[in-house]
Amino acid sequence: MRIFVTMLALLLSAAPAWSNPIAGPSIEERSDVLRTQLKGQSDYHAHLARELATIAEAEKAQHDIRVAKIFMEMAEHEATKSGGEQ
Amino acid sequence: MNRTRLLLPLILGLAAAGCAAKVSLPIDDPQLSEAREAIKQAKQAGAEQCAPALQAKAVASLYWAAHEITEEEYHPDENASLIANAIKYAHQAEAKAKKMCWRLEGVHFAFDSAELTPDSRATLDDAVAKLKKAKHIKVEIAAHTDSIGTEEYNQKLSERRAKSVFDYFVTHGIDGSRLTVKGYGESQPVADNDTEEGRALNRRVELRIQK
Repeated sequence: MRIFVTMLALLLSAAPAWSNPIAGPSIEERSDVLRTQLKGQSDYHAHLARELATIAEAEKAQHDIRVAKIFMEMAEHEATKSGGEQ
Repeated sequence: MNRTRLLLPLILGLAAAGCAAKVSLPIDDPQLSEAREAIKQAKQAGAEQCAPALQAKAVASLYWAAHEITEEEYHPDENASLIANAIKYAHQAEAKAKKMCWRLEGVHFAFDSAELTPDSRATLDDAVAKLKKAKHIKVEIAAHTDSIGTEEYNQKLSERRAKSVFDYFVTHGIDGSRLTVKGYGESQPVADNDTEEGRALNRRVELRIQK
């Protein structure tokens, strides 16, 4: 049991977040959700959210998951501002 | 004790897996000054409302360039293209905003009032002439205030001011069906409301060409 828990902890510490099911949805999944939510929105915040999501995907493609997550968080934050008066 | 020793790495592992590191981007870095200024100018021209896609590209490029500066293996020459993109898109956004959003420079209202001052006539007459020339376009009259006063009050004031401009146009021969009226209150500042200069820029009326 001890060995199992220790191994699991080490695995979670070492593995990149994108390969870890406990870490939640992937960058691509979050990007898809964001783009679906923003479908039809053409205000500044929606455009910026999509641009930031694109950067997140590019960073992910370069295996920089930490930065990808930062930009995806920024994208999601910007998306929350979309839909207001323009 | 043993349980604690076992759980600690597990908790740390979960935390590392589930949370992105919070960092602030060095937007104020001197290398980005030209891009920042270009984006600021575009915003003041109304780019967020009248050229939103281009302005978003400019801002996103700026953020990306700012991030690259924080990288351990930073290559200024490579980041130059991101900075150049930010500047290019900002200039395009500014140009498009100026084409699609006519800022009615010189239109003023009496203090705390929707009454147009006499010195506004020249600007409004110029706008009337443009609208008569471009008969095919429809425009939104968008009025804005600074942030002095309550949000609710500013909203209503901007609506009344937009209506005043509408009335002027209709009185001077523009078909009212080509015009829509919108007050935005203090919700869409184009400059810093903490300075008098910024507040003056934020108190404005625009004509937004509708597609």
